[in-house]
Amino acid sequence: MAEKFVLGLPSKGRMMDLASEALRTVGLAVEKDGDERGYTGTIPTLPEVEVAFVSASEIATQLRRGALHMGITGEDLLRETMPDADTKLDFIAKLGFGAADVVVAIPECWIDVTAMADLEDVAEVFRKTHGRRMRVATKYTGLTRRFFAERGVTSYRIVESLGATEGAPAAGVAELIIDITSTGSTLRANALRILKDGVILRSEANLVAARDAKWTPALNAIRNEIMDKFNA
Amino acid sequence: MVVDPTAERFRDLEAQTAKIMEVFARAGYERIAPEIIQPADVFLDVVGEAIRGRTYVFVDPDGAELCLRPDLTVPACRIYLERHPSCDARSRYYYSGSTFRFQPGGATEENPREYRQAGIEFFGDGDEERTEAEIVALTQKVLKTVGLKNTQLYMGDLGLFRALVNAIEMPERWREKLIHDFWRRDTLAQRLKQLTTPREELETGVPDALLNALDPSRPVAARETVREWLDENKITMIGARTLDEIADSLTDIAADRQHGPLDQSGADLIEAYVAVKAPPKAVGARISDLMSQHDIDLSVALARYQRRLDQLEDAGVDVGRAVFSAEFGRNLEYYSGFVFQIVTQDQQDGGYIAGGGRYDRLLEAVGAPHTVPGIGVAIHTDRLLNAVIATRSRDDGN
Repeated sequence: MAEKFVLGLPSKGRMMDLASEALRTVGLAVEKDGDERGYTGTIPTLPEVEVAFVSASEIATQLRRGALHMGITGEDLLRETMPDADTKLDFIAKLGFGAADVVVAIPECWIDVTAMADLEDVAEVFRKTHGRRMRVATKYTGLTRRFFAERGVTSYRIVESLGATEGAPAAGVAELIIDITSTGSTLRANALRILKDGVILRSEANLVAARDAKWTPALNAIRNEIMDKFNA
Repeated sequence: MVVDPTAERFRDLEAQTAKIMEVFARAGYERIAPEIIQPADVFLDVVGEAIRGRTYVFVDPDGAELCLRPDLTVPACRIYLERHPSCDARSRYYYSGSTFRFQPGGATEENPREYRQAGIEFFGDGDEERTEAEIVALTQKVLKTVGLKNTQLYMGDLGLFRALVNAIEMPERWREKLIHDFWRRDTLAQRLKQLTTPREELETGVPDALLNALDPSRPVAARETVREWLDENKITMIGARTLDEIADSLTDIAADRQHGPLDQSGADLIEAYVAVKAPPKAVGARISDLMSQHDIDLSVALARYQRRLDQLEDAGVDVGRAVFSAEFGRNLEYYSGFVFQIVTQDQQDGGYIAGGGRYDRLLEAVGAPHTVPGIGVAIHTDRLLNAVIATRSRDDGN
């Protein structure tokens, strides 16, 4: 039996609907197996493809392992999961939905801080005054560590936050946050402000192929067919 | 009979470690066995977030954040603290054991995720230069005992940089920043550029109207001004930084603007100092020369530097073959004074064989009630064995 081509799609919410819609638009409509809650599907116009519905972050993990040939998910999750995303993945198409920026946001009242360089100065004073490092709440621990290291910011501690991150400074569990934002209104509502050079990544949903997946000539042909449809 | 290479490797490593331990014990050091599993908190607070990316951190079933020790110095500090809570004892410890580092590109034979270290830590020493010389001499003795040849000693001195910055005319807060920036070459260059920029060209990001309203000589009034400004602009206070902290920081920015820029010659001197790399004996004269050109007095720090060289020679270290580099010691964040590394040409896999230095602020960061002088060295015994094997096969070949 020939190898299956596995395409990973987000398993719920708007991301699932928009990903399916993006595929339908290029003539690759997806049909779910069984009822709406099923986790597999097919593409009748490309029967060799097996569709796996998994969570958006799990898609990134499975692409890294090569368990999926292709997948649709946010660039933020791909880069968070894979520091070496550019060598692990082929970015095939930006899909124009799921747009959001990963940003460094500080309390609006920190009027003495406007750029990343100010952050390190304040962090050092904070450490001396409070006897501990400044805490950064985020679910993007990898992106944060890399971005801060590049900007020479070192005096901080990451506090992993899996939800409602923007509330962390007001709740007193962190001093600043790294989070995703599309319009900035949630940040403003929580009295936070984005640093002027604090945009880590401008993210949107991407169709990508995993270089480490098992590729055969037949599977390559399917990949090329999907790529052609998106690049047409 | 064919000996399995991993069995042979293990046997050789054990034999080498036994020899090293014997040298440390004879020198009067006490053996300790730090725990492999350590509280993650201490490391993250002391060494910073950068190390977390390379440390195996995990949460145990009770929810405690723990790690596999990424070095042995901090665990040794914790043992000292436990045994001497008032931190007034003079203790000399030695150890041997594994340390654990995640290798971002994947673990390889050259960069394993688990590697052995043997080392010593000396807490509460009195005569600094003498102890520093003792540690270097003992390290060289260990390397010689196990058969390593062609070693090269590199030295640096973070205390000299601090003394230099303190001797140049500028506000104290600029000094603190420069000393902090020493760790990163790019950041230091940027900072010097910022400090020497004419004030009218300085971008602060803070509204001019607010900055102009702050009088650095009246900090209490300045706090009130900031409070009013926040009220007027309907900005709410959230988080742990207080209004006073923010106001004081703004007042510093205002003071930086009013203060003339750092003299270009001061910035040039710092750049010139950081570039110094020479045999240790030539360094004293070269730095003296630089200082007299700029009319800066570093005689106290230089006298200590010279005394260390004398002590090193007395301890039998061939100072003439060593190299001093002013910027050496970057990337070793907890060191505070003398730093050194030993490498060898007989080494296939890069990296240094032994490295150490003075870390007078580490114990306090780990929880000591006051600063405690401390100095130590760690030897990478896997690398050492590789280098010794390379030395031997080269000698056999000749």
